[in-house]
Amino acid sequence: MSEHAWIDRLREVLGPAKVLTNIEDRIAYSYDGTFAQQLPDVAVLPESTEEVAAVVRIAAEYRVPVVPRGMASGLAAASVPFSGGIALSLTRMNRILELDEVNRTVWVEAGIITADLQAYVEARGLFYPPDPSSNKHSTIGGNIACNAGGPRCLKYGVTGDYVMGLTVVLPDGRVLRTGGKAIKNVVGYDLTSLFVGSEGTLGVITEALLKLIAKPQHVRTALAEFPSLDDASRTVNAILAAGVVPATLELMDETAIACIEEAMHLGLPLDVEAMLIIETDGSDDEAVRREMEVVERVCRENGARKVTVAQDEKERAQLWRARRSVSPSLARKAPNKLGEDITVPRSAIPEAIRRIKEISARHGLPIVVFGHAGDGNLHPNILFDKRDPAQWEKVEVMAGEIFGVALDLGGTLSGEHGVGVLKRPYMERALGPVSIDVQRRIKEALDPLNILNPGKVLP
Amino acid sequence: MALVPHPHISEDDYLHCIRCGQCLAVCPTYRLTLNETDSPRARVALLRAVREGLLERPTDRTAAQFFRCLLCGACTFTCPSGVTVDRVLELTRGEMAELGLLPQPLVALNQRIRESHNISAEPPESRLLWAQNLPAPPTGLGKAQAEVVYFVGCVGALFPRSYGIPQSFVQILEGAGVDYALLGAEEWCCGYPLAINGDLEGAREMMRHNLEAVRATGARTLVTTCPSCFHFWKHAYPAALEEDLGLEVRHATEFLADLLEAGRVPLRDDLPEQVVTYHDPCDLGRKSGVFDAPRRILRAIPGVTLVEMAENQGGSHCCGGGGNLESMDPALSQGIAARRIRQAAETGAQVVVSACQQCERTLFNAARAERLRLRVKDIAEIVLEAMRR
Ligand SMILES: Cc1cc2nc3c(=O)[nH]c(=O)nc-3n(C[C@H](O)[C@H](O)[C@H](O)COP(=O)(O)OP(=O)(O)OC[C@H]3O[C@@H](n4cnc5c(N)ncnc54)[C@H](O)[C@@H]3O)c2cc1C
Ligand code: SF4
Ligand code: SF4
Repeated sequence: MSEHAWIDRLREVLGPAKVLTNIEDRIAYSYDGTFAQQLPDVAVLPESTEEVAAVVRIAAEYRVPVVPRGMASGLAAASVPFSGGIALSLTRMNRILELDEVNRTVWVEAGIITADLQAYVEARGLFYPPDPSSNKHSTIGGNIACNAGGPRCLKYGVTGDYVMGLTVVLPDGRVLRTGGKAIKNVVGYDLTSLFVGSEGTLGVITEALLKLIAKPQHVRTALAEFPSLDDASRTVNAILAAGVVPATLELMDETAIACIEEAMHLGLPLDVEAMLIIETDGSDDEAVRREMEVVERVCRENGARKVTVAQDEKERAQLWRARRSVSPSLARKAPNKLGEDITVPRSAIPEAIRRIKEISARHGLPIVVFGHAGDGNLHPNILFDKRDPAQWEKVEVMAGEIFGVALDLGGTLSGEHGVGVLKRPYMERALGPVSIDVQRRIKEALDPLNILNPGKVLP
Repeated sequence: MALVPHPHISEDDYLHCIRCGQCLAVCPTYRLTLNETDSPRARVALLRAVREGLLERPTDRTAAQFFRCLLCGACTFTCPSGVTVDRVLELTRGEMAELGLLPQPLVALNQRIRESHNISAEPPESRLLWAQNLPAPPTGLGKAQAEVVYFVGCVGALFPRSYGIPQSFVQILEGAGVDYALLGAEEWCCGYPLAINGDLEGAREMMRHNLEAVRATGARTLVTTCPSCFHFWKHAYPAALEEDLGLEVRHATEFLADLLEAGRVPLRDDLPEQVVTYHDPCDLGRKSGVFDAPRRILRAIPGVTLVEMAENQGGSHCCGGGGNLESMDPALSQGIAARRIRQAAETGAQVVVSACQQCERTLFNAARAERLRLRVKDIAEIVLEAMRR
């Protein structure tokens, strides 16, 4: 018998092995990819939609908060159980239910690791493009709940563009199925989209039907070195203006380069202000090669000192490993970092970067800038030491100013990481009262008891 | 209390963990249970909770989480923030032992080693049993002086199913005309199991004894077939004993690769074609940086086509036999082994070769349990088969 009757009920329904109450387990389910932390009362590891529904029904009956959780790579503290209750882990729901090669869809459980799904479909000549850097350590459910994006989204779109249908456990325990394999579908509201980006506040996604495309057969990847950051950011627009839509167009500033180099020893140049990683792909080798030639020319015309095209898959993989390590390798420079995720219209990138560097200079704390420059999504990371209260105070002010830059330039707070709790205070300013009111009503309609991931997203 | 001082880690190394979760992708225990508690990130968070008071009094259950780990180092290899997770966990195991929280099977293991100087409480003479069924007694037995000492290690010397490894290795040494000595009953446990299970003083006693015994032979080179003995001799001995060993410590694969390339191991020319995949032992590859030597050996054997598993070299997946996990949770260890052997099967190879008696044993059992038609061999065995005698 435990101190809570509802925990006993969970054990009855799931069996004791899937209900974790030890302090060691609760610590393991208390955090995500941020520095926020709060212990849940219990963590559960359901293995089917029915089990998830049973957990949510018990939670509703006893008014206990439920926080859906993928691999907790989130960067907005959205899966941290600030009100305690149940941490509901989807990681054991990781099966591939059906691959339909004719309709090019795959039907999966929500806890599958994104990279595992990608490897599975790619082995069969198909392709699931959304590629958050965290694809090896995040789940499809988490990607959908955050509408995750990545470098390839410039050409191929974000997670939400590939979701055709969902199975969702609603906050009252009922099971909702949305969408289907039909490409055109206008019967009723688009409930699939409602759950995309809902950060676990409207329902628990247990299964997803995803759209696949044919795998691009040819890829070329280049690294362009720019002595001037300003030139690098101007080049982003110049490439797109030249009529090329690269699969990816990534920018890193000098501090980002230095951090990766320190972590991975790849021989990256340490005397440039910025680098771009540019990839072109497609089914026609000749076209891909021509596009890359245009890219190289535009880079040089806009001040690139050197453009290197990866010669083989190994070199290419190494470039991407480098890019994926930027964010975590910043820990080598300072004990803490606050990573933001603003977006601005593409044309405003040079101005946004100038203003961010100015904020950094004025407050005297380094800000590293990198991101998916092609779609205007930048990750300014403020580096600091949380043990110094003066620094922490500055960081909060600086974060507010960075959001200000994004909004002033016609952009928004988050391109991919979501709101969670960290960006909640800025929601009203970003969206305005009408939008907030509508969203609140949606939340109330679906979750009148406010048990599903309470305190997240909405102010 | 750091037994093996590392240049780039400090006791508060774990503070650099930013909880990015990248290590989850490579941790064999997490990938099998899909329970965050079994992840490197959670182990680091648990240590932090102990240090910072969120978890006020560690219990057996707390300690168990630090021992339910293979110490395979895949997390450390991947971590972009430079947290040396396996090293931190090794130190934490020591702390848990000091708090009296060493799990029971390991208390018993430590005690056995201290009393009998080997892991299975055998009398010292048993260390020679493996040498009895050879065509001729090894010339290295009872030799007082030699250029090279072959340090057999407890498992090779004492577990009948692993006898084949030292048996093969000494026959190759004989064939190549190497002047080597065996320590026989004077060989003690290298000390590694004690060190990772919190008995640092016990480990030092083993080290001092072994070093003296080796020095008495006048040898300049020490060779081991066991990657853990190798790793420990090479890195921990000089640091813990605070002296230059005056010895070159080499793994059998490095030694054999050189012998082969110097033409000292004559090879048969009637060898069958075989597709072989190589499993990197954690202590040899990721933790000691020896990746090429075993591959050089395999490529030198006529008829062998070497294919790589998806996870190889630095990114290799542990066989399941590391870190004494087997004595903590046999089912978990077997599950990890099954995963690895399936990766080997996916390459289409007929033979999996490793360079470690522990990997050989866990993978052999896994192949049987999974009903796979895969032969599992140690590298010394495959070289002996290829040698012209
Ligand atoms: C190193 C690193 C790099 C990253 N790179 C990128 C990037 O390039 N692009 C990007 O977009 N993001 C990136 N992220 C952020 C993060 O990985 C993504 O937000 C990811 O989608 C989270 O998935 P998860 O499975 O880890 O979800 P979690 O972190 O566990 O959860 C995130 C949110 O989703 C909800 N949720 C999770 N699963 C479900 C479900 N089944 N049903 C309902 N709600 C659910 C949770 O309640 C929470 O609100 C990165 C993070 C790190 C640490
Ligand atoms: S990879 Fe390193 S920083 Fe990331 S969670 Fe694991 S230990 Fe922490
Ligand atoms: S050493 Fe291996 S088993 Fe242990 S936490 Fe790291 S990756 Fe996991």
